[in-house]
Amino acid sequence: MKLERSDRAPLWAFLTPAVVLMVVFFVIPVLYVVGISFFKWNGIGPATFNNVKNFTLLFKDKAFTRSILNNVIWALVAGFIQVPLAMVMAIILSRKPKGWKFFRTVYFFPQVISGIALATLWRAVYNAETGLLNGLLNVIGRGDLACDWLGGIKTAFPAVLIYWIFYIGYYMVIMMADITTIDESYYEAATIDGATDFQQAIHITIPLIRRTSLLTCVTLASVMGLRQFEQVYMLTNGGPANTTSTIVLYMYKRLQDSNYGMAGASALILIIIGVVFIICIRKLFEGRSETMAPGKRRAGK
Amino acid sequence: MKKALALLLALTMIFALCACGQQAKSEEIIINFPSVWVGTDSKAPYMEQLIAQFNEENAGKIKVVVEEQTDYQAARDKLRTTITTGNTPDLCILDTTYDIKGYTESGKFMDLAPYLAEGWGKDFADGSYDAWSVDGKVCFLPFESAVFTPIYNTKIFADIGWDHFPATYDEFFQFCEDAKAKGYNAMGQMAGENAWSSMLWYSLIVEAIGGKDVYADGLKNPAFVQAAEVLKQMYDYTFDGALSAGAGDVNGHWLARDTAIYLNGPWWVANLYKEDNAVDGVLLADDCEVALNPTYTGGKGEGGLVTTVQAFLAAAEQSDPAKKEAVVKFIKYITDPQHVSELALSSGAMFFVKYEPSADTNLISQKLTGVANDAAYTIIHVNGAFPTAFSTEFPDAVQQLIGGQVDAQGFVDLLQTAIDNAA
Repeated sequence: MKLERSDRAPLWAFLTPAVVLMVVFFVIPVLYVVGISFFKWNGIGPATFNNVKNFTLLFKDKAFTRSILNNVIWALVAGFIQVPLAMVMAIILSRKPKGWKFFRTVYFFPQVISGIALATLWRAVYNAETGLLNGLLNVIGRGDLACDWLGGIKTAFPAVLIYWIFYIGYYMVIMMADITTIDESYYEAATIDGATDFQQAIHITIPLIRRTSLLTCVTLASVMGLRQFEQVYMLTNGGPANTTSTIVLYMYKRLQDSNYGMAGASALILIIIGVVFIICIRKLFEGRSETMAPGKRRAGK
Repeated sequence: MKKALALLLALTMIFALCACGQQAKSEEIIINFPSVWVGTDSKAPYMEQLIAQFNEENAGKIKVVVEEQTDYQAARDKLRTTITTGNTPDLCILDTTYDIKGYTESGKFMDLAPYLAEGWGKDFADGSYDAWSVDGKVCFLPFESAVFTPIYNTKIFADIGWDHFPATYDEFFQFCEDAKAKGYNAMGQMAGENAWSSMLWYSLIVEAIGGKDVYADGLKNPAFVQAAEVLKQMYDYTFDGALSAGAGDVNGHWLARDTAIYLNGPWWVANLYKEDNAVDGVLLADDCEVALNPTYTGGKGEGGLVTTVQAFLAAAEQSDPAKKEAVVKFIKYITDPQHVSELALSSGAMFFVKYEPSADTNLISQKLTGVANDAAYTIIHVNGAFPTAFSTEFPDAVQQLIGGQVDAQGFVDLLQTAIDNAA
């Protein structure tokens, strides 16, 4: 559709502020990061061109390759374990069983607590000597399993990851909001045809939220997985032996070293991984659209 | 009528703007001071009092505004960022020794040499600030010093059957075995956070093996590999979970009286005298004794001491001469020998300023001062001796060493690679 001249002015008027903000606060910083990643700079003296040495050093560093692996695992777990869990809860609670408001609040509650506070809490839970987890194991007679969860090479990463998987409230609420807009008549027709709740979820709910809230949540969760910092920083600082390190934490440590070139290079790689992830997720969710005609969606309650 | 009102409003605004401009000229000078000497820091109470006193004495002329930084690492990170982005605070506290040359050459910091030459320099220990001058410029004034020597719990030693602190590392590990047999932790180690305790122990071992010139060849000195082996051995005699432990864990065990030996800076001495840390009315300090770093069989170190400059005072270069004078006035106020004497008394910390110790100075602090005075030579701790990349890598390297991912040589290689990558 070709826009009339008279329509263009207001269009640009509305778009310009957003475009300017995007350029100033995103495009320019990203270009700056891209530029600095090819330089050697300690933040004080002049920057010297370093060609691709920063990238070569990054991929020679086991801590960095481990960070990439951890981030990819984190993003996959977020997108394909955490979000499906949230989806299941959203479908169940959308059927409004007894006490659904209570459970919705309980699941959402961790979202209003800062990540730092949660990490501090879990640090106490995992404490090797006085932690709740080891205490619990002792109480049930499995004291032999008690260990230094955050200090063990094999246990640290799962320990950091596992508790975080269950914080599903944010995605659950997004999907619940979407599910409530599905026209009730679909479920009524399915019920008349004898479809069980499970069948309704599989054949009505999931297809209808797949390309909307589910795609949004998988994208958001994966990106959050790629951006992990504060929980790892607080719980393990990337240790033991870099087994829990993430790219952002690695980047932070290079900034601590005043090694802005390598920090920039690692940031650039994170951006590339993020872009690849988003493209893959979109490809995965591509296919026949199950979106309904606008009139078919219920008004949200 | 409307025009008259609009004119009146415009005139009022112009007048207000002019008044603001005039007011700005006569405004007091604000000194922005991000400080870590706040919160639970042992220097916090006296520093707060001192700054309030300064503000009161200079009311209407100078005002020091403290930006409280309770997290030391976050404070370091923020300071580095502000310096890099050209927003160096009016006055700041730094504990970096390796970046001084670059910072001084950047021109972002005020040269205090002319002021020191006017007589103020006599207040400082001989050669203390000259050691950190770059091309004659003194931008970083060493203020707080630190010595790192073990403090041990005599009651626990007695319970284990020891009446003296081990003189050699061989004897040290015999003691560790005895402590372990009695259910005590010989010492506290931590590889979490910045691995501070392990870094200090490593520094002590490095000094004992390599002696005063251990840093001359960087990490190439074999003392670093040998010291890594000793450090690894020490982890057999610390509390469970040391690999992920932080300073809170080490301090907690020491205060709980289940750890025999403690290693930290003199600023921690005040905690030994706190009623809160007493058990059955007995202060922890009453059961404490200051020891010397054991010698290492075949090592070059004897009578040496690990030290560092715990805090430099540095001020941003100022274009306004009045503000420059105000900042210098405040630094002189902080470093006034009488004020430093009181600060030392209240905190237990040690300083480069020459001051008459108070008669009320606690026994442990007196002994630490004695150790410092009697030292045959001093070396700074490893974090201070190498670029920041070393201290960033150190916790991971310790975790890999203790976890068995690398051997002692691999541990040193990791540190060397980190330094090389940042170079």
